[in-house]
Amino acid sequence: MEGSDILELNLADLSRRIGARELSSLEAVSAALKRLELLEDELNAFITVLSDRALAEAKQADEEITRGHYLGPLHGVPVTIKDMFEMAGVLTTGGSKILAEWVPETDAALVERLRGAGAIIIGKTNLDEFGHGGTSTLSHFGPVHNPWDVMRIAGGSSGGSAAAVAAGIGPLSYGTETGSSVRRPASYCGITGFKPTFGIISRQGSFRGAWSQDHVGLFARSVKDIALGLDAVAGFDPRDPASVTQEKPAYAARLDANVKKLRVGVLRRFLEGADAAVGRAFDDALKVFANAGCEIVDLDVPEVSYAAMTSMVTSSAESAGMNRRWFRERHQDFVPHVARGLAVGMTLTASEYLTAQRARHRIREALRGAYEKIEIIASPTTARVAPLLADGVKGNGDDTRHPSYNQSNLLRYPSMLGLPGCSLPCGINPEGLPIGLQLVGAWFGDQTVLNAGLAYQSSTDWHTHRPALARC
Amino acid sequence: MKDTDKVAHRLALLEGVSFSTADLESIVAEIMDLERVVVELERFSEGTPWISQQAQPVNKKV
Repeated sequence: MEGSDILELNLADLSRRIGARELSSLEAVSAALKRLELLEDELNAFITVLSDRALAEAKQADEEITRGHYLGPLHGVPVTIKDMFEMAGVLTTGGSKILAEWVPETDAALVERLRGAGAIIIGKTNLDEFGHGGTSTLSHFGPVHNPWDVMRIAGGSSGGSAAAVAAGIGPLSYGTETGSSVRRPASYCGITGFKPTFGIISRQGSFRGAWSQDHVGLFARSVKDIALGLDAVAGFDPRDPASVTQEKPAYAARLDANVKKLRVGVLRRFLEGADAAVGRAFDDALKVFANAGCEIVDLDVPEVSYAAMTSMVTSSAESAGMNRRWFRERHQDFVPHVARGLAVGMTLTASEYLTAQRARHRIREALRGAYEKIEIIASPTTARVAPLLADGVKGNGDDTRHPSYNQSNLLRYPSMLGLPGCSLPCGINPEGLPIGLQLVGAWFGDQTVLNAGLAYQSSTDWHTHRPALARC
Repeated sequence: MKDTDKVAHRLALLEGVSFSTADLESIVAEIMDLERVVVELERFSEGTPWISQQAQPVNKKV
């Protein structure tokens, strides 16, 4: 099998072939590394590439599988992780000059679980510094470029992970999300991104953006692959105070595309201001759900109007608190935009933070009521496609004074409240750029979100579209 | 309190970290925006119970 053909395989197929010894882990890892080397100058998606180590681990995985010691669907599969996760003996920077040479001695929980599952980590991906951003342009290591158009951003903060998967550099990548750092880059890069309920995946050993909103999430080309990747890393971890007790994960085994009678809510008032092509793609997606037997329910939850503001105050205050010592001692080493953001957070008072937490509680209760009437809330993931790099951080339109700010509320409420959410490709705009569909479930409704996503991807082929750059 | 005094009070919380004039202008603009946002959130959250640590039975973490 040619290297480019291997990279076309989804995770489920790649894993089946490696498990059946029809394809070696060494071939799969070599193909991914070759693609990485070929495209890295254009994408800048990686901070550290682990070629030698990954090739050695791939050989070892092949030996283990030959001996009958098969560890499961990720065994021998090349994966990437955001450079937010500690990895023993490997540079771990958080995208920051402050840690540009830091090599930790221990693995993050995510890395431990990936190793336990036999996955081969081939590289650590580029990001906004310590996850503080939505563009992946705020990195000490330079901006990440979008594989669909390298003049555009990949979204952030997990932009390197999204760009890698979109470009075919491994079928699976793990990132983190505080505001929208998985769903937004997934949307901009035309892939599937998923953030589970708060506490499902341990954050131990990863840098914090804002502890009450931080999640680990993942990127793949399809919901089926997301479920396999989630099974490998979900589970209780007493070292993470947010971790929740849960059954042994079996998301992949429980996937079910039958979504008849599923109630899909639409928060219409927040759709105003979306680009015409985004609006059309979303309307078409709703028709797919209606044809699958879902009930489409118009919802009005005006409290969501305050979600982005509440999330912004919360994350500003928490990230300033987290970074207080570095801010005091090494503020000149932060990316300037991040340093200014931390300065703003430093000036927030305790009573202002508590006001935001009160607002958060009100929004949570309003959505709790809404989820008694529906199982899923659907919306476009972002109001617009990936903006140009030249537009800088303003391009996302997250500023409270920006015309497309309305959409920020839809992006921010899931992470602020810990709800499971995904972004699925649902269209291509006239300029050839991907459009994302967001599905958000109730707390611990992760399986419902995945099932709805599977139903959508069983009836559409948007998730099979690839950027031209990934066909090299 | 005058706006300039409010801003000075806020900037005193930067623990002595100094910024260029251009950076300070940008920081002050953000601070003013946040002040407006907090006033809106205060109005919105009026009457909402203050959150508190929730007690859970041992081994029944949710």
